Amino acid sequence: MATKTKGGSSLLRYLGVRFLLIFPTVLILVTMVFLVMRTIGDPITAALGGKLSNAELAIRISAAGYDRPIFIQYFEYLGQVFTGDFGSTLTTNKPITGLLATYGMATLELVIYALIVAFLVGIPLGMLAAKRRDTGVDAGLRLFAIMAYATPVFFVGLLLKLVFAVAWPILPVNGRASINTELAITLMDNPTGIYLVDAIRLGSGEMILDVLSHAILPGLALGLLTAGIFLRLVRTNMIGTLNTDYVEAARSRGVKESRLVTHHALRPALIPIITVIGMQIAVLLGGAVLTETTFEWKGLGFQLAQYLNARDYVAVQGIVALLAVIVALTNFLVDVFVALVDPRVKF
Amino acid sequence: MDHKLKRNLLSGLALAAVGVLVLAGCSSTTSDTKSTAGSTQAAATADPITITVGTTDKVTTIDPAGSYDNGSFAVMNQIYPFLLNSTPGNAEMVPDIAVSAAFTSGLEYTVVLKPGLKFANGNDLTASDVKFSFDRQVLISDEAGPSWLLYNLESTEVVDDVTVVFHLLTENDQVFPAILSSPVAPIVDEEVFSADSLTSDDDIVAGNAFAGQYVISAYRFNELVQFTKYDGYQGVLGVAENQTVNLKYYADSSNLKLDVQEGNIDLATRSLSATDIEDLEGNDKVQVIKGPGGEIRYIVFNFNIQPYGATTAEANAGKAKAVRQAVAYLVDREAISTQVYKGTYLPLWSFIPPGLPGSTEILKDLYGATPSKDKATKVLADAGVTEVVTLNLQWNPDHYGPSSVDEYALIKSQLESSGLFKVNLQSTEWVTYAQERKDDVYPAHQLGWFPDYSDSENYLNPFFLEGGFLINHYNNEEVNQLLRDQVVTVDFAERVAKIVKIQELVAADLSTLPLLFGAQVAVAGADVSGVTLDASFKLRFGTVVK
Repeated sequence: MATKTKGGSSLLRYLGVRFLLIFPTVLILVTMVFLVMRTIGDPITAALGGKLSNAELAIRISAAGYDRPIFIQYFEYLGQVFTGDFGSTLTTNKPITGLLATYGMATLELVIYALIVAFLVGIPLGMLAAKRRDTGVDAGLRLFAIMAYATPVFFVGLLLKLVFAVAWPILPVNGRASINTELAITLMDNPTGIYLVDAIRLGSGEMILDVLSHAILPGLALGLLTAGIFLRLVRTNMIGTLNTDYVEAARSRGVKESRLVTHHALRPALIPIITVIGMQIAVLLGGAVLTETTFEWKGLGFQLAQYLNARDYVAVQGIVALLAVIVALTNFLVDVFVALVDPRVKF
Repeated sequence: MDHKLKRNLLSGLALAAVGVLVLAGCSSTTSDTKSTAGSTQAAATADPITITVGTTDKVTTIDPAGSYDNGSFAVMNQIYPFLLNSTPGNAEMVPDIAVSAAFTSGLEYTVVLKPGLKFANGNDLTASDVKFSFDRQVLISDEAGPSWLLYNLESTEVVDDVTVVFHLLTENDQVFPAILSSPVAPIVDEEVFSADSLTSDDDIVAGNAFAGQYVISAYRFNELVQFTKYDGYQGVLGVAENQTVNLKYYADSSNLKLDVQEGNIDLATRSLSATDIEDLEGNDKVQVIKGPGGEIRYIVFNFNIQPYGATTAEANAGKAKAVRQAVAYLVDREAISTQVYKGTYLPLWSFIPPGLPGSTEILKDLYGATPSKDKATKVLADAGVTEVVTLNLQWNPDHYGPSSVDEYALIKSQLESSGLFKVNLQSTEWVTYAQERKDDVYPAHQLGWFPDYSDSENYLNPFFLEGGFLINHYNNEEVNQLLRDQVVTVDFAERVAKIVKIQELVAADLSTLPLLFGAQVAVAGADVSGVTLDASFKLRFGTVVK
């Protein structure tokens, strides 16, 4: 009983510490975003420098408050961020948090599709590579993993568009849905912004298929990036697990090789993937900017690219800071999950 | 280890994940608007004819007082009524929601509305709304808006519910009737629109403040618009022949091309690249439709901040003019036309495109049909410019088609190959571009012009009259006077002579440097008919069927 209590309080203490660490993490991330944006000058100079006279620039900078001491601007910015106010865009005067509500769900949906692709491709192929270790299949899969990881996501996207738009036009290559589905979702009551959920709520099989067909290529382009990493991780861990004593013992008892892989070696091999997902979220959000732009998937990444083009650095700063917070929170959740499922984690 | 605690926490995580999805399901993620008219049924039911249109244009705002660009006006043409308008295939002005419209004296233009007009929201459309529409344009005078088109309007008077009188500043304004069909003249609902500030798109759509051929039944800013036929429209265009038009906005013209050739959309309008159009012309699945070429492309010089401009440290009017003239000597229009636009845009040597009264190739006369480095060198040397001129040249990637990047790269190459210029090319997305070009940000920049109405004046007064939309600080009193005079000159030959004289003056000053003119082009599915590109430069969705 005493042991259980001690173990439970250790876990809670561990999770509490991890939770509290979110705040300095977010603080550091937000500070970095602020400082990086300021290294290119104030947003007014960044947008208009070299084009306006110094006097005109000074007037605009003063009006926007960018001529005040940097630490005052910094603390004002921190105050805004910690009250959930990331500011408003310069070009369209829309609140940044509103952008998250409108476009964040689109990016979340894309990231989920990408993770599904990563799991469906990375894990079975990783298992196969481990099972066929040091064969031609293994070598081919390792090469595939390296290519999937190393090829720029926009290049994969363009290749997919070339294949599925020109050579074999069977899948839509832009947008999140056909316009009829978009309209139906726009007109429905309280849309979630996750089109698949909305299409299901509309109860239209045609719209569900439409949404899914639009998701295939963007999900594939972004998902392959992570699938390569998953493949290598699963292969490496599974090879290690297959050589452990308890697997050898099972093998000696006559357990079939396929059962050894699926029932004895897979679960332990999957745990590192959960850890990696935390880091991959940041990679996927970065990749989403390029994927969304390539496929006109109108999510946060697409908007970020649009605001970068418009040199709306207030919007860029707000969106990037917001993404940083999302990454920090995701990593916390992953830590919690790993702590709960991985017996090797000590508190 | 406490397995029970772990299990509880895992269950909690799972529940939290489900909760997030449920909450997402219960929350609205968009502030975009649905109209009360049309509404869900319009999208959910299969209409007899639904047309899907794609464009890379962008809307600045659908408040007529706050925008003066093709993307916004293309939407306004579908949803707002005008006092005068032209019918598809015909550029002649005729009363739209009016019974009559005519000069009742030299300084008075009287319009009598049809009786019983209503907005889609049920509000009456009366002479009071007409006065409100023009008064707010003048009062708001938004820099991005078209209020300057009302330069000759002194006041608007309501006589009774259906009669309104425009009091003009100068007599016999030959252009005023055309202005009543231009972007400054949509009639808006005084019970929805603000009298002294811009009204947001969401408020306009929510207020269902439409009385044109269509209402907007779904609206997501620069993503999609759903137009639903408004049966209460009583204007000259008649009730739309289709029930619904869905307008989809693209960021990338290659996606627009793919969708029209695959039949995902019925009509692609503005803007496909020249190579895309060339490619689609050989595709049996689509038809390429061309209309009169009233669109022009040109470079604007900002007289304040261009090299040696009035507010620069080395201000010198003579040197500044020499710089503009040197650019005119060096630009090779023929090369841009053939290499970049494959002949879809042609060299423009005049300020008014060929075919309109007074069009004259004055630039060819003054600066030669072919580039001349010697003449450019001489004009700079004569003005005392001895150093390489650094020119910041701004262009826009998303408003004038995807070939703009090649066009301006070629211009940079043409100028720099002379050894006389160092060109810094910079690009800006349209929403910002439209704002910054007015704010003395760009020393020289790309613009295009889609005429508001088919009259030579529309290529002159908006550009060169003091206070025009260019806001580039060009001001020539002689030009100003001639511009004002020609508008009120009743004798046609005399008016044309003044138009020619104006072009001679502005060709010497070079407030702008015309480069190209081009046809209107749209690409439609093979089964689509009724796409009319005419000299009014208004594409009406109401005639498109399939």
